[in-house]
Amino acid sequence: MVENLVGSMMARLRGSAVAMMAAAVLMGGCASTDTGAAEVWDPIETPNRFIFAINRTIDMIAIRPLAVTYRDWMPERGQKGIRNVLDNLGEPVTAINEVVQGSPGRAATTIGRFLVNSTIGIAGIFDVASAMGMPKSKEDMGKTIGYYAGTEPENGGFYIVLPVIGPSNARDGVGLAIDASMDPFSLVTFSINRNVGWIASGARYGATAIDMRSRTLFALDDLEKNSVDYYAALKSAYTQQRADLIRAKREKTDGKAEIDRRDNLALMR
Amino acid sequence: MLLASRRVFLAVASILLALPAWAANDPAASLIETTSAQVIDLIKTTQGAQREAGIRRVLEQSFDLSYMGQQALGKYWASTSSDQQARYLKAAVGAEAHAYAERFGQYGGQTLTLGKVTTRPNGVTVVDSRLNQSNGQPIKIEWEVRDVGGAPRITDVKIEGVSMVITRRTDFTSYIQNNGGKVEALIQELESRATR
Repeated sequence: MVENLVGSMMARLRGSAVAMMAAAVLMGGCASTDTGAAEVWDPIETPNRFIFAINRTIDMIAIRPLAVTYRDWMPERGQKGIRNVLDNLGEPVTAINEVVQGSPGRAATTIGRFLVNSTIGIAGIFDVASAMGMPKSKEDMGKTIGYYAGTEPENGGFYIVLPVIGPSNARDGVGLAIDASMDPFSLVTFSINRNVGWIASGARYGATAIDMRSRTLFALDDLEKNSVDYYAALKSAYTQQRADLIRAKREKTDGKAEIDRRDNLALMR
Repeated sequence: MLLASRRVFLAVASILLALPAWAANDPAASLIETTSAQVIDLIKTTQGAQREAGIRRVLEQSFDLSYMGQQALGKYWASTSSDQQARYLKAAVGAEAHAYAERFGQYGGQTLTLGKVTTRPNGVTVVDSRLNQSNGQPIKIEWEVRDVGGAPRITDVKIEGVSMVITRRTDFTSYIQNNGGKVEALIQELESRATR
């Protein structure tokens, strides 16, 4: 399933201009219904709940057990090494996004990290760059679009539950497709040979899924157990968390906007 | 033995919770400080039902629970009878206390460092803090504090940008909508969860 997803993303490489235009239409279309965090725009709730149910089943029988085993049996240093390798593979996409966000300095640091960790850090297993004063950062196209969109960051277009991947919205879903389409790691492996590309991407996204799930076990279990409508609670938590990341980006350049929004958001009805 | 280790712990906790001088006099910041110290103390000294009761007392003292409950019910609060409101608050507060007791059961020596305190024109104070973990990144926690009848009270907690009250509101209102718009359905669900 992950491979299918990567496949569809690769297909979008050619159509990323179309995706951009679609994004503009979707974002523009929802500007008039600025809903904020409390009521996330969810016009396709019925299909979303359907995919959500399938995802929970896949999670229950496959992903969660693997994530629990991984968390409990893999030594902590091993987990850290794997996470570093996966993060390192993501650095080029982060750097591209940082350039688009207008922070070439930060992008240079990210490229520096990638070069140092890929070589001295042995394919990224060890994060030597952090010790050398190059701190880690993580950017994606969803955040970049959100950074430039004039809307409240809670408004990422319609909410959508993606197969296997889970909660997303128009903004972040389009961002994900663009990120995947310009990912040098995929481009290189697929240019060697189709099979190499599939195997490498499959291993990478499979490992990413297990790693991410193992780190969200506690928070998601808690949210599920303490909510009366898990789907709605997760939708809200996802939207707020993404909005918080985008807001942190915007705040760096505009301190006053932050105060304003806190007043606007402060428990609006 | 227990007493001695407790004393050592409290000494350590008070050092770890030490505030920057400029935040020390702020009533909102000191509320967060005392609340977290009380909770850590409870975790160290109590178990099970006793801990849950203790945490419930701390929640009742430091949080404005009726305000939070009212906010979590959103637009449905106004159309609910006062009898239902009372039952709803009782059930929702019970559920939160239980959830918190369980969450804190996982406590593994994390420390809370208080940061910037921002008071806004509308009287709400936001206290930034970080929960430092032994492994992994610190977790960002923001506390929203309001003045309730002369005393500061916590009215929302945001973990990594996720507001407890807003998440609950989406959760509760969605449940009510899917049950024919009846608040009674939510109250009964919360009440039946308490007995489980």
